[in-house]
Amino acid sequence: MTLVASSIVYRRRSWMLAAGVGLLRWLGSIAIGLAGLILVTFIFAHLSPVDPVIKVVGDKATPETYAAARLALGLDQPLLLQFGSYAGRVLTGDFGNAWSTGQPVVNDLLRAFPATFELATVAIVMGAIAGVGLGLIAGLWPGGWRDATVRVVSLLGYSVPIFWLGLLALLLFYARLHWFGGPGRQDVTYELMTTHVTGLMLIDTWLSGDSAAFRDAVSHIGLPALVLAFYSTAGIARLTRAAILEELHKEYVTTARAKGASQARIVIRHILPNIRAAIITVIALAYAVLLEGAVFTETVFAWPGIGRYLTISLFASDVPAILGGTLVIGVCFITLNTLTDFIVGGLDPRLKP
Amino acid sequence: MTFRWTFAASLLGSVALISVPAGAATPPDVLVVAQSIDDAVSFDPAEGYELTPFQTFNNVYQRLIESSEADPTKIVGALAESWDVAADGKSITFKLKPGAAFVSGNPVRPEDVVYSFVRAVKLGKTPVFILQELGWKPDNIEALVTKVDDSHVKVGWAADVGSNFALAILTAPISSVVDGKEVAAHASNGDFGNAWLKTVSAGSGQFKLTRFVPHEALILEANPKSPAGAPKLKSVILKNVADAAARRLLVEQGDADIARELGADQIASLAGKPGITVKETPSAQQDYIIFNSASKSVPALSNPAFWEAARYLVDYDGLANKLLKGQYTIHQTFLPVGFPGAIDDKPFALDPAKAKAILAKAGLTDIKFKLTVSNQPPFTDIAQALQSSFALGGVAIEVEPVVNSELYGKLRSRSYDASALYWFPDYFDANTNASAFAFGTGDDGPHTVAWRAGWNTPDISAKTHSAIVEQDPAKRAVLYANIQKAVEASSPFVFMLQAKEQIVLSNKVKNYVQGITPDQIYYGQVEKK
Repeated sequence: MTLVASSIVYRRRSWMLAAGVGLLRWLGSIAIGLAGLILVTFIFAHLSPVDPVIKVVGDKATPETYAAARLALGLDQPLLLQFGSYAGRVLTGDFGNAWSTGQPVVNDLLRAFPATFELATVAIVMGAIAGVGLGLIAGLWPGGWRDATVRVVSLLGYSVPIFWLGLLALLLFYARLHWFGGPGRQDVTYELMTTHVTGLMLIDTWLSGDSAAFRDAVSHIGLPALVLAFYSTAGIARLTRAAILEELHKEYVTTARAKGASQARIVIRHILPNIRAAIITVIALAYAVLLEGAVFTETVFAWPGIGRYLTISLFASDVPAILGGTLVIGVCFITLNTLTDFIVGGLDPRLKP
Repeated sequence: MTFRWTFAASLLGSVALISVPAGAATPPDVLVVAQSIDDAVSFDPAEGYELTPFQTFNNVYQRLIESSEADPTKIVGALAESWDVAADGKSITFKLKPGAAFVSGNPVRPEDVVYSFVRAVKLGKTPVFILQELGWKPDNIEALVTKVDDSHVKVGWAADVGSNFALAILTAPISSVVDGKEVAAHASNGDFGNAWLKTVSAGSGQFKLTRFVPHEALILEANPKSPAGAPKLKSVILKNVADAAARRLLVEQGDADIARELGADQIASLAGKPGITVKETPSAQQDYIIFNSASKSVPALSNPAFWEAARYLVDYDGLANKLLKGQYTIHQTFLPVGFPGAIDDKPFALDPAKAKAILAKAGLTDIKFKLTVSNQPPFTDIAQALQSSFALGGVAIEVEPVVNSELYGKLRSRSYDASALYWFPDYFDANTNASAFAFGTGDDGPHTVAWRAGWNTPDISAKTHSAIVEQDPAKRAVLYANIQKAVEASSPFVFMLQAKEQIVLSNKVKNYVQGITPDQIYYGQVEKK
């Protein structure tokens, strides 16, 4: 009894230790990643030949107005001082005002990121289910028509331009069949009524208690999420298929088969636990890509996410917005990577970082 | 078999779950406009200088006087009932309309007019250069714009300009009258309420701006107590749809009532579609070429013979009727058709042989220059077309696409050879373009577009100055016609095109009015039937 209790305490302590180390690693990665991102984005912004003063005062400003704005932006200061001042403000959460919206960058990011987060999450759930499912089918029946179909779908996912696919999907499912809502996160009727609490439209409309508004939000997110999911599906299905095929030829599968285990049991109890780490890694990578913002999808579907925000900022040479957006994406990437390492390590101790 | 059916059923079930029949048709009292509003930064009339705020200002603010909706060349009273020009021609006294009130319920007072002009000049934001044309500066504005009594306000100016010109300046969006009490209550750190007014409105127009979410939507709600009268709609929503094809789909499906900025191919595909009308209105936007005659790397750019030859190396017809089909017309002078004083003169056409002869006579050979253009459509296309047509005359062009701010940085510092770009007038008076293109007095003078072209032209500049001082509108029109002909004949500018706007309207939309300048968009009389 004492032995069992001490074993539980030991396990709990070792788990807490692992979690503590994981947290420290995450914080360390964030700190190093942020410092690097701040430095690199700042240098790139200042190496660019664009004139930030014109963005602020306009093309027709008098030389006096131009000079005053340059002074106000601190552009007369040495570069090192400008960097110090910027880094100091970023550390206190002040990214400054975006030149292309006139709003604090933090406000812009708090609005754009939830839109991307919501779309990416719905898309990755769909993509992961479809990708793993199709990968299983292709892997379990290799060489047949099922495998060929999955490979064609994967090939399309890799090769069809997402912009074109998005427009085609809108034309068919929105304009012709009326299965889904059009561009935007909501119809205008609900846009006026929904109170923004979390910034996630599915949750906000759900919280509002208006089932019609919720259905409208679902109908609007469905199509862009499906388009994005299609692209994630391609990568996940290919990897799952390859992993299944590799495992099917291993001795433990032959043994299980010899012992009379059914195909379903072999897949669920034996193969999937062995390949789940690889699948989770590829899903996490696909999710990270989606979280960076799918610029073309967001443009076609008028989805006000971080991909579009950053693209507009880049075209407008909006340095504060570019720096802020890049930092947010960087943090997401590092967080997701660390989280994936942690989960994968937990599932398969051999892969512990 | 069971597995297959389960899989198929799950797939169908998933699609059924997420596909909810989409609604169509916008509410009857709400006008939904699909367009890009990505440019919008501020809706403070003292600051807003982008297309979307300009399209909004006339609907949420009033000025003392405004261009008539029916005939923009005429000025009519808005918040002013009447006005008198002083005998010395240096000030105008306006009588305010009795009973006029802002959307907040506060009455419109002379103090509000004074506050509006003082804050605009002292804030010194992008459009302030328009008010600076009157010689208004932070240290003299309070002396020049004063309250006379409870219903009169006197507007004076320090610059040597005539009252007609001053009246035109007072119709510009930056001259909008804001609710002084309301705005002052939201001021912080001496910003005259600028931070607050970026995303709301405090005016007396037929609508009020209630919500602006950058890159998403802009919502205007009716102001039934506006001195301009109650609007017919309850609200107007400008929905940000960046992709033109998506805008087309929205208006086709009835999820938008108006779609703006569709490409030529989108417009063509809508031909004959039931329930949709394409409305064409001329726009004051002009596309032109500028040569930097101060360029040290290409001396030919300062030679008037090269300027003349260049006029015959542009394929005007190809640009307007093939490349940019339906979106532009040929226009070769610096005032757009529709502006007071504009002449519609088209003496030039593509003639490479003539251009070659002019260049040969001037001894100009092996000319090669860099054409710096915005990397946004249609300027890269225009640049390529110019590259081809100039090559016919033996002139080599190297196209350099850059982002807009870099382009204007190069123009301001005169570190470019040539550019093809657009120009929008800033207010409804001929001087807005004349002072830019026909006023170059060297480095000591204002840094106008002529200065950016390195064009020092004392004679034409003197004529431009005479025109601004002239009080008689008919005489002014003649003066501007002469200046346009002089610039058209010889200057480092080649005016090529005037834009026209094609707006796609649902047939339910009635009484939609749009003028030549971006601010001349009026939703007040629009209704849906």
